[in-house]
Amino acid sequence: MRAQRLIRVCVIGAVGAFLAACAPSAPSTQNAAAGSSPSDTLTIATTTDVVNLNPMLGNSRTDSWVTDLMYPRLLTVSANGSKEPNLATKWGYSADGKTGFFDLRNDFAWSDGTKLTATDVAYTINTIKTQKPKGNVVSGFMSNLDKATAVSPTRVELQLNKPDSIVVPEVGFWMTVVPEHIFSKQAKIDDFANASDWVSAGPYRLSSIAKGQSYTLERVEPYPIAPNGKPTLAKVVFKVYPDVNTEILALKKGDVDVIANALPPAQVKDLKGTSGISVTEVPGLGFTHMTYNMKRKPMDNVLVRQALAHAVDYKSIRAVAVQGQAVTANSSPITDSLKEFADPTLKEYTFDPQKSKALLAQAGVSNLKLTMIYSLQDPVIAAWSSMVKDSAAQAGITIDLKGMDRNTYLAKTVAGDYDIYAGSFAIMDEPVSNMALQYLPDGAINYSQVNDPQLTSLIEQAQSTIDKGKQKSLVQQAAGYVNKNMIDNIMYVQNLNVAHSSKWDGFITRPSELLSIIDPASLANVHQK
Amino acid sequence: MPPLAWYALRRVAHGLVTLWFAITITFLLLRLLPGDPATAIASTNMDATMRQELLTKYGLTESLPIQYGKYLVQLVQGNLGTSFSQSEPVSTVLMARLPWTLLLTGSALVVTVAIGIPLGVVAATHAKGALDRIVQVVGVVGQSLFVPSVGIFLLYILGLKLKWFPIGGAHDENVYGIAWYLNVGWHLVLPCASLALVSLGSYVLILRSTLIESLGEDFCVLARAKGTPERIVVWKHGLRNALLPTTTLLGLQLGFMVGGSVLTETIFAYPGVGRAIYESVIRLDFPVLQGAFVLLAATVVAANMITDLAYGLLDPRVRTA
Repeated sequence: MRAQRLIRVCVIGAVGAFLAACAPSAPSTQNAAAGSSPSDTLTIATTTDVVNLNPMLGNSRTDSWVTDLMYPRLLTVSANGSKEPNLATKWGYSADGKTGFFDLRNDFAWSDGTKLTATDVAYTINTIKTQKPKGNVVSGFMSNLDKATAVSPTRVELQLNKPDSIVVPEVGFWMTVVPEHIFSKQAKIDDFANASDWVSAGPYRLSSIAKGQSYTLERVEPYPIAPNGKPTLAKVVFKVYPDVNTEILALKKGDVDVIANALPPAQVKDLKGTSGISVTEVPGLGFTHMTYNMKRKPMDNVLVRQALAHAVDYKSIRAVAVQGQAVTANSSPITDSLKEFADPTLKEYTFDPQKSKALLAQAGVSNLKLTMIYSLQDPVIAAWSSMVKDSAAQAGITIDLKGMDRNTYLAKTVAGDYDIYAGSFAIMDEPVSNMALQYLPDGAINYSQVNDPQLTSLIEQAQSTIDKGKQKSLVQQAAGYVNKNMIDNIMYVQNLNVAHSSKWDGFITRPSELLSIIDPASLANVHQK
Repeated sequence: MPPLAWYALRRVAHGLVTLWFAITITFLLLRLLPGDPATAIASTNMDATMRQELLTKYGLTESLPIQYGKYLVQLVQGNLGTSFSQSEPVSTVLMARLPWTLLLTGSALVVTVAIGIPLGVVAATHAKGALDRIVQVVGVVGQSLFVPSVGIFLLYILGLKLKWFPIGGAHDENVYGIAWYLNVGWHLVLPCASLALVSLGSYVLILRSTLIESLGEDFCVLARAKGTPERIVVWKHGLRNALLPTTTLLGLQLGFMVGGSVLTETIFAYPGVGRAIYESVIRLDFPVLQGAFVLLAATVVAANMITDLAYGLLDPRVRTA
């Protein structure tokens, strides 16, 4: 009996010791963020987990939010949609347009003490160019780039094989600069997970990860863009809540301070009325649209496309499906989000079923039946798709709605297997680039399947000129052409709403969900009231 | 060889064949899905050439038999491949998640049994009475519950309004040592309760039926005639026989719970394999999906093998059949 009791005690003790050894231990004092408390720790909720921490690979939105705090972009975007300095102070082209350049700040350094110089920028550009890391957005902008060279510690020059006005602004905005002395040790960038020992030139640096749950970043000093060179927060913690309802509950309870992802329109009113919660409107940089597959009859007929455009009740869609949280795009691919290039003379197509019928009759088309594809993962489009069907029916047009899962939708989109495509682009930041991607015959997102020599000529001219005035004129002509010929039915720009605890102040709002109120400059500035 | 050993051997062989079948079906189904991993992670700038290069890198341009053969060889060597999206070995990705799923589903199973047995006994011993009717209503309602609805409801009432439990996650940051275990337990309560509430209903109802039948058998009548106290008749004689079919049910319920963990882990932001599956479906990350299904299938097959073996231990008739 005594022996049995002794054995039991020993087993329990052994199990207890094993469990104690398995539990995480407190970090050593030197590793802990000194003096961090709830008032200088900002907790941010997000619905998607971090996929990978290598900013050169294709990333989820959360990946970008985390890596942006460590790896700087050369340029950022202002409230009116134009590019602004960030790591770069000046940027542009030589007179012949065949050399692009970035002049850099000289006060950035990596967290291991190494200075951030043009070598890092040139390395990043050349690696993307030569290795084409999987899912990397920037490599698609580099078709006319030969190579980048650090001509001095603060100047990078890009050799182009022909003038291309897209390269500099798009590389500047979409590319994040990585430390050459760390990343160059990797034989293949695609295989580099960058899962530990982070070296940051941003206001914060990753310190710990609980995979699938939270990502903790700690302050890095000095950070030149922060007030007095010191980011205001000791810690930033990203917490993952895959379900947006759970995320909202966490904000209301106070488990998180900010919801980084844009709120579903249906949740905005409730949160605006919740005490202790502030909702900030963030200008959208993208748009939602329907395209009519011009490779299929009768959508190759401009009268049919115009008829389809007049059969959409845009105002009701914005009021009902988007709950008033959208503005007109004036049926133009260059929306008012890009104020410098937007054409104020362009107007939205009116909802006029009688006009639709007349146009169809003029085109000699009757009993028009079409299918429309959309992703069921986009609840807003799923909400207005039936409104599109109903309003089209008033014009005698039958639309068969095909909502589908995202991967099927993407497969059909890539294959051009649709009559009408409904979707949205989150960030259309650069007018010339937007037009090239959408409307050149080999454009990566040419979902209208358009191949129009006149439109192609306008866009190619805009792409090959570095004269801003000429660019603007050509882009506006191209946008007007798209509008008049209904090559793309741009329906609205959805303004985004993000929520945060009212305890916090100092957020800087920038357009798009990518920047929003949690870009590096904002998080280096935010503080409790 | 003794009958129990033969029985065990047959069950193991049966389990391995089931596992191979599950692996093969998963492999084929993933490749039949529309789209491909390159399209799933496509940026607006990814042209056809880049897509094709990516597909070649993923090994998806080879013929299906070659892909399958390579996959089986890797599997036998214990290599689950490399995640398309995360550039990390699948085993690393999943081993960080598996303990949480095992903890969640294991706890839910224990809670289901711990509550289900007493409830089933109460219902059976008060058959047709008020208590029995209450338990039956609870059982039927439980069977109709939907995990996400239960989850959000519990989070809203017990998490937000009463502030008794955290909103999601498996543990807090900056908690160490023994306190970490208590913290994990605290975070486990609501997701475990969600899963257990949904599986409790069928367990209670089946146990109630089998126990009522068992208590009417001749051996129980004899026990009562010999003066055996009623609680001994119920808990020692009747329940032991009534547990046989419910033991089999437990194996099936484990499969249900493992599948239900996808929804539970999503609602509660619990970092288990279910979440990894949910995220990998969107990205069409085949290696992670295949690895996850292999692990989960192996878990369910192993659990069912164990319940079959337990059945054989409890019921000698089975092992000599």
